[in-house]
Amino acid sequence: MTVDQTQVGRPEESSGAAVLELRDVAVHFGGVKAVDGVTLRLEPGLIYGIIGPNGSGKTTLIGAITRLTRLTRGDLLFDGSDYTAVRPDRLVNLGVARTFQTVRLLPDLTVQQNIQLGADARTGRGAGKEAAPHGDLLSKLKGFSGLAASPPSPAVARAIERTGLEGFEAYYPTELSYGTQRRVEIARAMAMNPRLLLLDEPTAGMNQAERAEISALLRDMRSEGGLCQLLVEHDVQMMIDTCDYVFAMNTGKIIAEGEPREVVQNPLVQEAYLGRKWREHA
Amino acid sequence: MSTWYFSNLVLIQATLTGLVLALSVQVPLRFGVFSFAGVGSYGIGAYAAALLVIHQQMPALAAIGLAVLITAVIGLLLGLVIARLAGLYLAMATVAFDLIIGVIATNGGTFTGSSTGLYGILSDFTMPMMFTLTLIVLGLVVLSEHGKIGRRVHAVRDDIQLAASAGINVRRYRLVAFVVSGALGGLAGSMNVMVRSTVGPLDIGFNLIVLALTMIIVGGAMSWKGAVIGAIIFTWLPSLLEFVGKWQTLLYGIIVAVAAVLLPRGIHGVFVDLTRWVQRRRRKPAAPPPAEVAPEPDLEPLMTGPATGASGASSSPQGTPSSTSLLRGKA
Repeated sequence: MTVDQTQVGRPEESSGAAVLELRDVAVHFGGVKAVDGVTLRLEPGLIYGIIGPNGSGKTTLIGAITRLTRLTRGDLLFDGSDYTAVRPDRLVNLGVARTFQTVRLLPDLTVQQNIQLGADARTGRGAGKEAAPHGDLLSKLKGFSGLAASPPSPAVARAIERTGLEGFEAYYPTELSYGTQRRVEIARAMAMNPRLLLLDEPTAGMNQAERAEISALLRDMRSEGGLCQLLVEHDVQMMIDTCDYVFAMNTGKIIAEGEPREVVQNPLVQEAYLGRKWREHA
Repeated sequence: MSTWYFSNLVLIQATLTGLVLALSVQVPLRFGVFSFAGVGSYGIGAYAAALLVIHQQMPALAAIGLAVLITAVIGLLLGLVIARLAGLYLAMATVAFDLIIGVIATNGGTFTGSSTGLYGILSDFTMPMMFTLTLIVLGLVVLSEHGKIGRRVHAVRDDIQLAASAGINVRRYRLVAFVVSGALGGLAGSMNVMVRSTVGPLDIGFNLIVLALTMIIVGGAMSWKGAVIGAIIFTWLPSLLEFVGKWQTLLYGIIVAVAAVLLPRGIHGVFVDLTRWVQRRRRKPAAPPPAEVAPEPDLEPLMTGPATGASGASSSPQGTPSSTSLLRGKA
């Protein structure tokens, strides 16, 4: 692994405790080493990025972190505690939330209900006891029958406000643009009150304006209670605009890490994206 | 009213048992579990209640309660064995379970009455009891479609990875689906034997699977309302089609086929679509989320690699991706 260990401003050099730590994590599918010996450490209040060409192991690594993909070896630590054997559905109680590579909203639930699904997961971490405001009996019956939307719980209302989804509460996902659907996904994850937010290609398929919008939203969320974000993206411009620190992956390994601009200029990273012949030609 | 009620009492009873039977197949479907085990539980519940009344002289409600408990436990055990299966494999395993119950009933000797079944099951079961039990069950199913449980059931059905990331124990929910299906099937079977006073292997055969499936396909598979619609239609339709004589079965089949093709989400799905259409029409258009100005393409040199990156010059117009910015967008 060729990682420049001398870069200035590496989060590892700070004295803060790591939210997430990966030690020699590997995921092998038969003979294919999708992730091979990744070690990294994420600190609160920062936005991290993982870049790399298709098949470099980015999404598999997110799967491993969220325990949806079985590890071949290695250790996963959250707040210094090993969670390698913890079930995926328990991670939300630790404070891990994620979005997926493709938009995954429940089509028969409204925007508000989709986000409420995230807030439902907060039980066990104090904030989950927030109840929806009490309405009168008629409004409750209307909400129950589906004739009118129930008022959102405080966590949902906050997530809707943070992601600029006011006015979309009663919409169904199929009625929304792709960018707005992505916002709903992020709002759902935010409603889980996470300490670590994993975003798998949140701007895939978006135009430049939409990408800038999501980038601004993620930067805005950085100020929220030490939230740590790990962003997987192909879009290098987006990563440079958004992230504090970037890891570059290829063939399951981290080949470079550091400040986004430096990583993008790293010859190994350019070779991984563009190929050796291009580099020799250049 | 009373004349109509008493002249149609058998159909009313069949509607109630049909509704609970349909729910025993529909509830697991709402959990994403393609299981017909509710039909097998119907058979077990019917025989269990009948045997408890005949041999133990149990009151009807106690016999029904015990039968429901037995079928719920069997549902749990079945779930533990086959819950890992999915789709058609799971469906076939549960159909096999249903058929095995029929085989056991046929070969059970005097205990199950063999091929002739059990007769003379006289109990203190009344129509108010039947209405009450059905309403309680329906109320619980309605509750399960709303609130936190309703949302979680949606997630378990539509996307198990999303469900897990939202803190839902998918395996537990799938097991609950088997237990509830068993209990509902057992309730339908035991209520039916109480009002019919007889049960035989032919009453719990493959035709019952077809009937339950037909009810929820035509009525709608994703809500209790669909089960109610299906139960009413397919209990009352045969008697309404009596005028066509020997063509009744053919016409019945055509109605089912047309409904399946034209109404893929069932009759209830049409109402859902209409409701959403009305909601869309009434809704004020929401303002689009705030869009930001596109970021300055000051990093164009970085994107073009070391050959041009050093100069910091870019020939691309502002905001337009350069043909050499190969790192932009999907690689």
